[in-house]
Amino acid sequence: MKKKIRTGMTLAATVALAVSGYPYASLTGSYAFAEEKDTSAKEVTLRVCNWEEYIDLGDWDEDETIDLESGDIIGENSMVKDFEEWYYETYGVKVNVEYSTFGTNEDLYNMLTLGDVYDLVCPSEYMIMKLMAEDRLVPLSDHFFDETDENNYYSKGVSPYIRNIFENNEINGETWGKYAAGYMWGLTGIVYNPEEVSEEDARSWKILDNPDYKRQVTIKDNVRDSYFAAVGALKSDLLTSDSFRNDPDYRQKLVDEMNDTSPETIQAVQDYLQDVKNNAYSFETDSGKADMITGKVLANYQWSGDAVYTMDQAEEDGVFLDYAVPEESTNIYFDGWVMLKSGIGEDKDKQQAAEAFINFNSRPDNAIRNMYYIGYTSVISGGDDPRVFEYADWNYGAEDEEEETVDYDLAYFFTEDTDSEDYVITAPAEQARRQLYAQYPDADAMERSSIMIYFDDAQNQAINQMWVSVRCFNIHDVPAWIWTITAILVIVILVCLIRNMKKKHTQN
Amino acid sequence: MRKFSFSRKSLGVPYALFLFVFVIAPLLVLFYYAFTDGQGQFTIANLTGFFTNPNTLGTLCYSFALAIVTTAVCLLLAYPIAYILAFSNIKSKSVILMLFVMPMWINFSLRITALKEVLTVLEGNLAMHPFLNAVIGMTYDFLPFMILPIYTTISRLDKALREAAMDLGANEFETFLKITLPLSVPGIISGVSMVFLPAMTNYVVLDMLYNSTYIMGSLIGSYFAAYNWHGGSMIALILLGIICLFTLLTGGSEEENTRGGALL
Repeated sequence: MKKKIRTGMTLAATVALAVSGYPYASLTGSYAFAEEKDTSAKEVTLRVCNWEEYIDLGDWDEDETIDLESGDIIGENSMVKDFEEWYYETYGVKVNVEYSTFGTNEDLYNMLTLGDVYDLVCPSEYMIMKLMAEDRLVPLSDHFFDETDENNYYSKGVSPYIRNIFENNEINGETWGKYAAGYMWGLTGIVYNPEEVSEEDARSWKILDNPDYKRQVTIKDNVRDSYFAAVGALKSDLLTSDSFRNDPDYRQKLVDEMNDTSPETIQAVQDYLQDVKNNAYSFETDSGKADMITGKVLANYQWSGDAVYTMDQAEEDGVFLDYAVPEESTNIYFDGWVMLKSGIGEDKDKQQAAEAFINFNSRPDNAIRNMYYIGYTSVISGGDDPRVFEYADWNYGAEDEEEETVDYDLAYFFTEDTDSEDYVITAPAEQARRQLYAQYPDADAMERSSIMIYFDDAQNQAINQMWVSVRCFNIHDVPAWIWTITAILVIVILVCLIRNMKKKHTQN
Repeated sequence: MRKFSFSRKSLGVPYALFLFVFVIAPLLVLFYYAFTDGQGQFTIANLTGFFTNPNTLGTLCYSFALAIVTTAVCLLLAYPIAYILAFSNIKSKSVILMLFVMPMWINFSLRITALKEVLTVLEGNLAMHPFLNAVIGMTYDFLPFMILPIYTTISRLDKALREAAMDLGANEFETFLKITLPLSVPGIISGVSMVFLPAMTNYVVLDMLYNSTYIMGSLIGSYFAAYNWHGGSMIALILLGIICLFTLLTGGSEEENTRGGALL
């Protein structure tokens, strides 16, 4: 275990988030990395908007150097600054990146609707689908996919598994890959304390309403993740049945089942989530990680990147947590770069800079820097460049003295040749259910992964209504005695008021 | 002379501008969204929708209940403290008062996070008592806003009035009931309005203490997260209406009471 976490930075961010209070307050934080203007040459301004804490900001300590066989990697400057320098050196054009951040996909969408202009943004897959459907995106240029250009690191280095997903999913007859380049990806799963929770329980979405863990499990405070988990729990018997598993059309059927938005399913999900509300510890976005580490909760619905972070942090306190991918299905999610019509428009210089920004972040050493810094998994496998695999091995590979080891096969991610044996990590046995499993799930977990499509307006409305119903107190639930007391109180107050007024009247 | 009056007028321009940009204009936008639908057509469906939906009405009730209980607890705690402080002869009065107010100087989310840990120790599992936690959290947060106005009012009471009542044969309790309490009503009212209204909307306390039921503030947030700006604006507007109504009612009686005080 060589992995170290940038505790300082992440802690600072957590505190900043806590201080800023509510999720809606922390909409944006803008940092402009402006350089002195060079008046002689043309200058391109690139407005990038990314998730908070989602790119390497540099300033690593010397001892954080990642010493791979193919050379050392360290983040001295921020990725954005490095990009500006690299772009000038490579293309002789000055680029000025205005980098800002957003808190949720919905925040980003609302910001765009309000007229904020960005050239390049990094939303999740369903928001990309929504933006595609609304015809707001500029397609990636043909040159971007030209693998003979040595600077096209994305096309050369993206994992074949991810490329496949981007090419096989369509919106209005156009593939995702035409408009979007992946950045980070992961699966949803359950982080749990193996001393208190059995692996079997953690490997099912039904843990969320399992009375054995009453008020000791957290669920995500957003409608999409909660919906997915609820559907998984409700259809558990079907999804885990052999006949369904062995269906030749299993993958497609799984996606259909997990994205079922029929009125009956929505109603069933509502009932289920109401049970969960009475059984779970909390609906959380960020606090679950800390509550897991301090032991307030035993299991925690988590995105894989945050799962890695939680397990790392807990280990520093001497607590060893495990990660499980539910048997029913797991949500595979992406964040990807897309170019906006409202920003790029017809400006070819801008588009070139935007695509170069994607490529620069896809260069294996930079992908590794970002991964190391934020804890999520890059879509980049490196192509011919071995460094990404070396990094996974450097992170999780067993030391020589390790006694119990497993051979962990990641061929599905790193190569098209799935029979290849070049991508096997010999890892400590427990890593197969800890950080390695969360960061690079095995092929088995990937087999039962399903994307979650974006819902159209009608579906969205129905599902959001369902969510509000789950979260709100229903007036029909007000007990009769409260109505009675309220009525009596109102009458008493009215009588007092009237008597008072009469008294005043007679006094005058 | 002319020049002087001109410059005095122009001093008000920044304030007028401020009022327009940050108060009037947003309010107009709020009205626009509240009374239009997705196509920009005029509609009152958002208004009727609020009063026919059992969930939004339930949220209103829940917020009211939370605010009423919080305000009552704050009042019951604050009044005796303010009363004792105002009438005691201890020299360290201002120090004690400061101790009650001091938590306000510490960052809000830090205080609630600390409270979360304390409640976890006391209750075992925090998530078992969501309503109680919300009340405790809000009371902790808003108590100084109740103590200060009541203390100020009571300490400014004319002692002669109480002495007169005693001279005329009233005992301690009667003096309190007939002199001190009625005269401190303005302080109570300003305390209540400073606690009641934030308690209806401050959902951060609920979020941080894991009460997963929406109150008015979080309900508005959820509408905006679902891109329904129209419904969200309408709820904000209704809340504004409730606050206006509340202020009118209490403001009216406050005036009455000061007059009543003068009469006495």
